[in-house]
Amino acid sequence: MSKPIADPIQMEVFSNRLLAIAEDMGSILIRSSFSSNIKERKDASTALFDARGRLVAQADHIPIHLGAMIGAVETILARYRLDEMAPGDAFICNDPYLAGGSHLPDISIITPIHHDGEVRFFAGNIAHHADVGGRTPGSTSGVSRSIFEEGIRLPVIRIARAGTIDEDLLSLIAVNTRDPEERLLDLRTQIGTNLRGGAMLIALLDRMGWPATEQAIEDILAYTGRRLRNRIAALPDGVYRFERSMDDDGFPGVPVPIVCTARIAGETLELDFEGSGPEARGAINLPDSAIKASCYYCVKAVLDPGLMPNQGIIDPIRITAPPGTIVNPRPPAAVAARAVTSNRLCGAVFGALFQALPPERVMASCNDSTSATSVSGFNPRRQATYVYPESMGGGAGAFADRDGMDAVHVHTVNSTNLPAEALELEYPLILEEYCFVPDSGGAGRHRGGLGMARQIRILADGTIFSARSDAHVIPAPGVFGGKPSNVTRILRNPGTEREEVLHSKSSGLVMAAGETIRVETLGAGGYGPPTERPLDRLAADLREGKVTRAAAERDYGVEMVCRALA
Amino acid sequence: MYRIGVDVGGTFTDFTLHDDADGSIRFFKVPSTPHDPSAAIEAGLLQMLDGFGLQAGNVGYLGHGTTVATNIVIERRGARTGLLTTRGFRDVLELGRQARPSIYDYRVQKPPVLVPRDLRIEVTERTGPDGSVLVSLDETTLEAAITQLAESGVESVAICFLHCYANPVHESLAKAAVERRMPGVFVSASSEILPEFREFERMSTTVVNAFVGPRMGRYLDRFRERVKAIGIPAEPYTIHSNGGLMSVATVRNCPVRTCVSGPAAGVVGAAEIGRVAGFPNLITFDVGGTSTDVSLIHRSRPLYTSSRLVAGYPIKTPMLDIHVIGAGGGSIARIDDAGAMKVGPQSAGADPGPVAYGRGGTEPTITDANLTLGRLDAGTLLGGRMMMDLEAARRVIHDRVAKPLGLPIEAAALGIIQIANANMSRAIRSVSVEKGYDVSEFALAAFGGAGPLHAAEVAVECGIPRLLVPREPGTLCARGMLLSDLSSDYVRSHFADASAESWQHVLGLFVEMIAEGSAWLDGEAVAPGARSFRRILDARYRGQNFEVKVDCDGLEAGQLAALIDRFHEAHTQEYGYAIPTREVEFVSARVQATGAVNKAPQSRITGGPSLGAAVIGRRQLYVDARHGWQQATVFDRDRLPVGVPIKGPAIINEMSATTLLFPGQSAMVEPFGNIIVEVNA
Repeated sequence: MSKPIADPIQMEVFSNRLLAIAEDMGSILIRSSFSSNIKERKDASTALFDARGRLVAQADHIPIHLGAMIGAVETILARYRLDEMAPGDAFICNDPYLAGGSHLPDISIITPIHHDGEVRFFAGNIAHHADVGGRTPGSTSGVSRSIFEEGIRLPVIRIARAGTIDEDLLSLIAVNTRDPEERLLDLRTQIGTNLRGGAMLIALLDRMGWPATEQAIEDILAYTGRRLRNRIAALPDGVYRFERSMDDDGFPGVPVPIVCTARIAGETLELDFEGSGPEARGAINLPDSAIKASCYYCVKAVLDPGLMPNQGIIDPIRITAPPGTIVNPRPPAAVAARAVTSNRLCGAVFGALFQALPPERVMASCNDSTSATSVSGFNPRRQATYVYPESMGGGAGAFADRDGMDAVHVHTVNSTNLPAEALELEYPLILEEYCFVPDSGGAGRHRGGLGMARQIRILADGTIFSARSDAHVIPAPGVFGGKPSNVTRILRNPGTEREEVLHSKSSGLVMAAGETIRVETLGAGGYGPPTERPLDRLAADLREGKVTRAAAERDYGVEMVCRALA
Repeated sequence: MYRIGVDVGGTFTDFTLHDDADGSIRFFKVPSTPHDPSAAIEAGLLQMLDGFGLQAGNVGYLGHGTTVATNIVIERRGARTGLLTTRGFRDVLELGRQARPSIYDYRVQKPPVLVPRDLRIEVTERTGPDGSVLVSLDETTLEAAITQLAESGVESVAICFLHCYANPVHESLAKAAVERRMPGVFVSASSEILPEFREFERMSTTVVNAFVGPRMGRYLDRFRERVKAIGIPAEPYTIHSNGGLMSVATVRNCPVRTCVSGPAAGVVGAAEIGRVAGFPNLITFDVGGTSTDVSLIHRSRPLYTSSRLVAGYPIKTPMLDIHVIGAGGGSIARIDDAGAMKVGPQSAGADPGPVAYGRGGTEPTITDANLTLGRLDAGTLLGGRMMMDLEAARRVIHDRVAKPLGLPIEAAALGIIQIANANMSRAIRSVSVEKGYDVSEFALAAFGGAGPLHAAEVAVECGIPRLLVPREPGTLCARGMLLSDLSSDYVRSHFADASAESWQHVLGLFVEMIAEGSAWLDGEAVAPGARSFRRILDARYRGQNFEVKVDCDGLEAGQLAALIDRFHEAHTQEYGYAIPTREVEFVSARVQATGAVNKAPQSRITGGPSLGAAVIGRRQLYVDARHGWQQATVFDRDRLPVGVPIKGPAIINEMSATTLLFPGQSAMVEPFGNIIVEVNA
């Protein structure tokens, strides 16, 4: 099955050295890029591969990128022979269908690293660019109907030859985006990042020699594989199924199920998505690289968060999804807004894996969503147009021994909010309220985490609002008798005569000065029957206003509420 | 006159005493008293003065580093605190930036919020980003909020209103109302603690300040009384997170500034020692029992950062940029179920400590490995006051590591050290190479009890050519208190496009802050000639959401172009490039006010007569697989001569640490008593 480790001490030392290189590349990439997606939100990852295309090390930044460059390296290896690659070459790609991409804004640069005339490694990095063209600024519209609306598509292209960047190609790419100056800067940074990683790898090879390096790589992969297989083997064999659903397929319609069947047999784990709904008309399809990253994230999170991200966690897991479904779309299905689907899929995988765990290790369903909004318009102070993107989390699931976390991003999303003061300094908008949504977490022995609300007042006519949200219909379920959460809603002009409930994928709404938008996100599921909730916890929720008296009386009963308040 | 520096650690309270008469330095330590750290300070001062036969009345300076505020936060033992904030925003404290604490481990929870939701009360008021009042402060809701807090029995109140950095009037009115209605309650207004934009970080910092305030005040009272009772006439200073000193009165109002005070003194001490000895570029390497702290000093100036999590709570005050990892002498080595060996972050700490301490430790630690390889001597801990059990250390390394891995005991022990060194090296790279510095221009300043044991190998791993080992490395933090200046930081957010007008406005803010700093220095009785002010502007390219610090020293009105040039340069230093065509924005203006303290001078040491006279023995030392066991000469550091080369393998002992020299390496004591090792990689 897996090989024994030849030298555990050298493996650990080498692993630190490799990780130091990947982290160094990550910090130079994040430090030197211009896009706030890369720099502030760290929506970028760096990785090292061996010449066979196996992932050897990856710096931890964002789960949706876990193993995300494997497809790119595989495509390169399928298309070019190693002896066709020269030192200083670099490849670029982003296409989910042609080059193992995740969605078009995520551009990968992969660089072969030679030592003594042989390709020994590939250095790679992937970064979320602020814009790659297409129908909407930011290139992540939820309502595109095909990938051709989502921006420039890049199959594997050799962007640098023997250390010289192909400026013609680079400018072709840049002019197809909304801020060419920024794109040029960030792409050059990506190419430079790999060169720096390469120089460090060469120094490491000079010092250790190839045989010892090769041995250490084999040890690292064998070790990680062994560790994951041990975790899988500790689970009872069986078939475990869990279903979550998207509200619709991006346009008003019926829910689209995402079904995960986890088959555990000995040391193997299969995640099968048979039974999931059809390819979406909107941009919420989950392409191959993104479904894999989501699954790797789930396995690492549920079974062993300390697993090193390398090929060793990839080989023991088999992932299958029927073609033509939302979780295995065919070209040219649109994929730009895959984040919300990724989170829902993680909810399905968590639910399946938790059935193989003892109850004390189970967490109720999280919000398994993310509500992204975009407000754009003309900024009179700047005399320029602006785009303000925001993405909101919700509740995290309750545990056997404690309530779920309130108002956080879950699973493969972990971006930060824009502070009210930064928002109001920058844009003609006012943040009127930013708070928890009382009663949004599912009741239970332990309560699901609360969702959050954000209400914005628009100060200039002609402001445009769009949303990429979900879970407006289907809540997060509870577990072991715990209650489900509420659902997300987006309101226009709440509390006025003009109040209007918006669809989760409203796009291009034109708003006038004085109008408001309020987004209230869902909480998470509760754990255990509400009747078992400790009275002091219920009392604290009531005192703090996280649960209203009316909701408490509904979920816990009048008598229990009276006792809690006594 | 004597000067005394005191560093209160978790296990020991260290003292360094400098005698101005002859320039000599003496070191001392006593066990810490965590229930009231000032008890150990008092006991230590008494014992030390008595032991050395000195008069308390001659102590002209007392500086101390304390983790009292940090511990109040970590243990969440602070005051019952209330928060007043703008309507619509009471949950900001708990929402934070909505990111979760661990990306992969969903079991890791956010720390409990320091002010529960029912004590976070909203007041009707609104100020705009330009400082204009959009909604006047509503007296009725304010009075009702204060009544509610008073009835809830809060001991401390934090106030944080939106955009108060642009106009603090509403916060000032609210603060005055709270003080009037709740006399004796500790009140912190965010516009006084951190008048800088981004509400969550400002609110969190203000709340932590309010949370620790009352208890810290009581500690400071006890500390001051004890010092007075001993008969020490000097007003004591406390070191704060930026490495500067503050009086007790200043700390009382702003205790949050001491939240990372402990390790700061070591860094400031190293910077000053390096400056005098001619080593302006240092990477500090402070290895203790449970953790290793690393930081970078460039041209004798430590690097700063403006925010950090303390026990999971964001605190934004200027502070030294110190990177901490969980690897120290007590770190435990374990073989996991898949056959790999991991070292740390679990630690046996000081209690029970390593197996060799014989206090009940059962798992092999880095210290046990060092002892097994002859790198530590069983009888040298604390100058011989504590014996270690070599046989127990060998046994546990054999049973837990060597046997399961099928390795000789030496290879197993060396493996533990190599893995620890690899972890430490990664931390060093992250503060140096990853920030664009060339480590070949630096020396590794090794201190803490175990720094000099690991430094030579770590330097080789990182490509750092030499080490600087200060005297008594285990108590450097206490010595750092004698080498620091008074300092305080001021900030004003000013959001504007770069223009002649906005630059003029920034210059006005500098003048304001310098006046504020001068008033503070008046209070600290610093003479005009000893004062200096550093002016810094945070600026960025339009479209960015992060700032670069631009040094404005020497720039006046009419020099906007020169300022912009400096911004491009600073951006290049920080991020590797500049975009000369892009618009520049101003964000915040800062002033650091410094009052030079009449510091303990570093004097040249005499040193011993010859190397031979410093030899105290020979010992077998295990080097590596190639060199095996080697006979090493053991020296007493205090008797080493100045300027005479020492060849490895050698071991240099002193009370608080052991320095190792491997074959091929050489060392020399330089005139100020520091050991300089050439690692010759």
